[in-house]
Amino acid sequence: MFSNTRRDFMKASAGATLAALTGSEARLVAGPAIEPRADAVILLWMAGGMAQTETFDPKRYTPYETGLASDKVLSTFPSIDTAVDNIKISQGLENVARIMDRGTLLRSHRVGDLGFILHSRHQYHWHTGYAPPQSVAAPHMGAMISRTLGPRNPDMPAFVDIGQNIEIGAESDGLKAFHTAGFLGSEHGPFFIPDPRDAAASTRPSEYVGATRFAERYKYYKELVEASSFQQDSLRRAVDNAHRLLNSPAAKAFDLSLEPQKSFEKYNTGRFGQGCLLARRLVENGARFVEVTSEYIPFRYWDTHENGHTRAIGMKQSIDMPVSQLIRDLEDRGLLNRTLVVLASEFGRDMICEGKPGQEVKNQVDQPAVMTEPKHYGMHRHFTEAGSVLLFGGGIKRGFLYGKTADERPCRIVENPVTIEDLHATIYHALGIAPDTKYEIEKRPFYVTKDGKGRPVMPLFA
Amino acid sequence: MFRLILALASSLPLLAQVDFATSIHPILASRCAPCHSGPAPRAGFSVETRASILRAVQPGKPDQSLLLKRIKNGEMPPSGAALSDAEVALFERWIAEGASWTDTLPAGPTEWVAPLKPIAPPLPANSMANPIDKFIAADFAKSGLAFPAPLGDALFLRRATLDIWGMTPALDATRKFLADKDPDKREKLIDSLLADKTRYAAHWISFWNDLLRNDQGVNYAGTRKTITPWLLAALENDRPFNEMAAALLNPVTADDPDGFLLGVNWRGDINASQTPFMQAAQNSAQVFLGVNLKCASCHDSFINKYKLRQSYALAAMFSDTADLELVRCDAKTGKHTGPEFLFPEVGVKPASDSLADRRKAAALSFANPGNGRFARTLVNRYWQRLFGRGIVANVDDMDAQPWDPDLLNWLASDFAQHNYDLKYLIRLIATSRAYAIPGSSAEQTDFRGPKLRRLTAEQLADSVSEITGEWRVSQSGENATYAREWELKSTPLTRALGRPIRDQVFTTREDAPTTLQALELVNGDTLNVVLKRGALRLLGELPEAPQNLFDSRQMGKGAKPLDIDVTGAKQLWLYVDDAGCYDPARTVAGWLDLTLAGPSGKTRVASLPSISKPKIGALTADKVKFEGAILAPVGALIMYPIDGLGFTRLTGSVGIGDASRSSDISPSVRFFVFQEKPDLERLLRVSGAPPTPAPKPSRDAKVLIDELFWGALSRQPNATESAIAMKLLAKNGTVTEGGLEDLIWSLIMHPEFQYVQ
Repeated sequence: MFSNTRRDFMKASAGATLAALTGSEARLVAGPAIEPRADAVILLWMAGGMAQTETFDPKRYTPYETGLASDKVLSTFPSIDTAVDNIKISQGLENVARIMDRGTLLRSHRVGDLGFILHSRHQYHWHTGYAPPQSVAAPHMGAMISRTLGPRNPDMPAFVDIGQNIEIGAESDGLKAFHTAGFLGSEHGPFFIPDPRDAAASTRPSEYVGATRFAERYKYYKELVEASSFQQDSLRRAVDNAHRLLNSPAAKAFDLSLEPQKSFEKYNTGRFGQGCLLARRLVENGARFVEVTSEYIPFRYWDTHENGHTRAIGMKQSIDMPVSQLIRDLEDRGLLNRTLVVLASEFGRDMICEGKPGQEVKNQVDQPAVMTEPKHYGMHRHFTEAGSVLLFGGGIKRGFLYGKTADERPCRIVENPVTIEDLHATIYHALGIAPDTKYEIEKRPFYVTKDGKGRPVMPLFA
Repeated sequence: MFRLILALASSLPLLAQVDFATSIHPILASRCAPCHSGPAPRAGFSVETRASILRAVQPGKPDQSLLLKRIKNGEMPPSGAALSDAEVALFERWIAEGASWTDTLPAGPTEWVAPLKPIAPPLPANSMANPIDKFIAADFAKSGLAFPAPLGDALFLRRATLDIWGMTPALDATRKFLADKDPDKREKLIDSLLADKTRYAAHWISFWNDLLRNDQGVNYAGTRKTITPWLLAALENDRPFNEMAAALLNPVTADDPDGFLLGVNWRGDINASQTPFMQAAQNSAQVFLGVNLKCASCHDSFINKYKLRQSYALAAMFSDTADLELVRCDAKTGKHTGPEFLFPEVGVKPASDSLADRRKAAALSFANPGNGRFARTLVNRYWQRLFGRGIVANVDDMDAQPWDPDLLNWLASDFAQHNYDLKYLIRLIATSRAYAIPGSSAEQTDFRGPKLRRLTAEQLADSVSEITGEWRVSQSGENATYAREWELKSTPLTRALGRPIRDQVFTTREDAPTTLQALELVNGDTLNVVLKRGALRLLGELPEAPQNLFDSRQMGKGAKPLDIDVTGAKQLWLYVDDAGCYDPARTVAGWLDLTLAGPSGKTRVASLPSISKPKIGALTADKVKFEGAILAPVGALIMYPIDGLGFTRLTGSVGIGDASRSSDISPSVRFFVFQEKPDLERLLRVSGAPPTPAPKPSRDAKVLIDELFWGALSRQPNATESAIAMKLLAKNGTVTEGGLEDLIWSLIMHPEFQYVQ
């Protein structure tokens, strides 16, 4: 005999049914309200591990000469002045130097240390806040934000990922594992633009089908479905939404050919630069979270090992103009105060220390003790103790320097370390999302920052 | 008492009030509150209290409630999947019933305690033949409902073929089945579908891959091992489920699937709750017992009754050492445990502390005939797969209450008595009248029939191939074979359609249509290619892919000789395929000393005219310098016309320039020679037959329309539909390839195609 009252029974069964209806769909458990300072985020992802000592945290400069001892070298570039008196950054970033008064430079980002280095794993950790493997599929930060705040414009995908080709050979699976909405469901996953030059094409009917045929096909399709007695509203809405999005005025934001030539050229350092321009256009048109990556491909771009010095010159050239122009454009358009721009990387680099100082992990680079050819100059290892982060807009302080690393190797953080959890909490805080905002999945809580424990770095806010 | 309430509730559904806490609140919290709550709710409208929500809700008057209107016309929620029809109906009823509001949380778990032992209840006495139907008929009778009429033959055939082979039925099979007058033809159909072990295994392997988190070729530079060869053989050879479980839990021979216990491991340090043996505990408990130990791998669970110690004890059956120290939230506790099965009452103790004995004990414990949970969990998963909803609704929480405990118990006992035969179970279900009830998306608390199910990513892709005759190929080494979708790596399309990244156990696929998914279907390259090739094939205009004359296989450096017969060749096509270069643009690849020879002498190919105008220059491969090499950009075709020149032999080498041997270029290419323009989707020789015979090509609009309707929707078009299809297919009176693509697209986007009705 059941002692439950009828009401209890109905309650239990109705609950079970709803759970079944929605599958394992995550449920938001709302946290306390925070006044949002930003509506949108642009994440400029320096994929592959940007050497902080060659960019935003320059140390003593030692020019190359044959026979130079590797452990004598900290930076392979001289420092330059910036618009802020107490901030010096690395040569090659002159344009960013001029806009340092618009934002904050954080030099004490303590990224995760996961032992034997694997880029895709550290990137997974940075983007989701959780190191894999995980027992539930962890959502990308962009998906969390898209899910929590929704799109700013229904005709614009909330989460756009620019610049990463996801089929890159050996580490493709590692990239796919975190470029997803995980348990939040594919609706919140990224809209991929692997190459900004193809952005316009990906948001209009394929050239091969053509606009006329595309429109006719849709018209007759709807007639065909109308003629059937079997209807599924959810499918109809999804198909309608896709067509509306492809035909909406917002879709023009994807077309870089509509950008005035003069403006386009200011960004055009290549794919990354064009990605920055695209990000600006998308945010202007209501995107919520846009990531622009310098792209991760093993041993390319910021994954600087041999020829590190020469490679860093090229990488700085690719980011310097577009990053500064993005900030200027957002400011000119009055968008910077409501858009948080974050530039970050999965870890920093050092020529001697692999991983965390004092920890023995497998060296992945054979750095000779004495340099015999230029390719040894700036031949970096992976350094997980410290990385540099730039933050602009969204209520972040202007012309501010936060955190400090030691001037001698190992260049540890000596002031104000900021973990991934805390940096994420800061980003979420700017958006009005509490760090312990959680989704219920498999009946257990899953927090936007690891275990809900991230703490926003309040001194970064104006 | 239980039955009585059920009967009352289900026969008079409107009397069962919608419960705010369990039905409405979760939707408000997840879909409305993100914008409509807090100090500055969007549009000044908040869903936080009843008082605030009454601005848009007229209790008792759904028609006059703005909230419902906005939901119904699709304006709200503006992001994410639209609310399902069932959810909209819940809102409507809730408002009609007065929009009651409680601030309480849902009631806690019921007093239901799931049994552990096998239970074989007697069959209800009624006239039904299939035992499942005896239970279902009794349930319907108690609810005062008639047993619903079954699906017609065509849709039944479609459902069964999708459920057993994973694709829509072929045209011939449909015609034959409809014409068949045998009263037992449905049973015979199920038997014949199950008898085709290749097609059966090619469908069910996706279910098992999700469950056992197996994905061939997916790796994270850590340890992970595919179990595909074992799994495919187990399905094709009807390996009993208890034997499969034993092999997974206690891999002994080299062919056994040790990848399951190994788990998914990325290189580097790992958290205590994700060590391979903790993963093994979590996975085995979830897969075989329907128990979630994920919480209890870190601390005593607060979502179920399981404790940290129990997780560690189960893990100790799989760990290197028999003694494990409990680590609570990454902090060592000083407490230890040895191996013990999660349910010691039915567990088998290891004979010794050796890993072999502990694994052996694990296999004996899970698959212990006295452990009724083992069979119940599997039976419930198969029921969910075939009916869309489990007898215990949440298939991963077998401690929860089933809607018919007797049915679940009987099925599980019967399955165990029939040697844990998976095909026996499918046959029992698929030959029931319950299985033949038309699908419905209506909310169910008990059983009313199958839930409407959407095609899975693999079913959709394989069905499109079935209908058009165009299959993708899977390549290994020199040869390629036509492939079912499961054999291929996931694509943007299949990922959008819910094929999971199998880092975790997946027991339920996402099946809601979403905008991002629709974008892939409406405008994605993956489908566009399939449509184009499919249309060409249906028209008989897709030429057989030419066979290559030379295939260098994958190369990363150095040179390889080439010496092939080119007698009769009219053209020479040279192609360098990217096999995974980090930087294809900077990869230097070349055709070296390429020479054509014939009765009239020898000619250097580089000296011949070519409209491709390749770059000719020096290339150094393995320190040997070759002058006058044909430098070939990766991914570009070079063609030389050689018709009438009488050449019979092509010699030389292919090589990769030493200049591209650096870590950031990391060359990896494959050189091919063809005598016709190659099909870049088919560079390798495709051997074997496609998974199903291709339909006969036709250019006749009426035939194409008729066959595509039957293929995609399992019915013929009515007059209106024929007219619309004609407009798509033959805009100016003649069938065009583009028109055919559009018709195929319109049919595979049709709800009748995308759902198992």
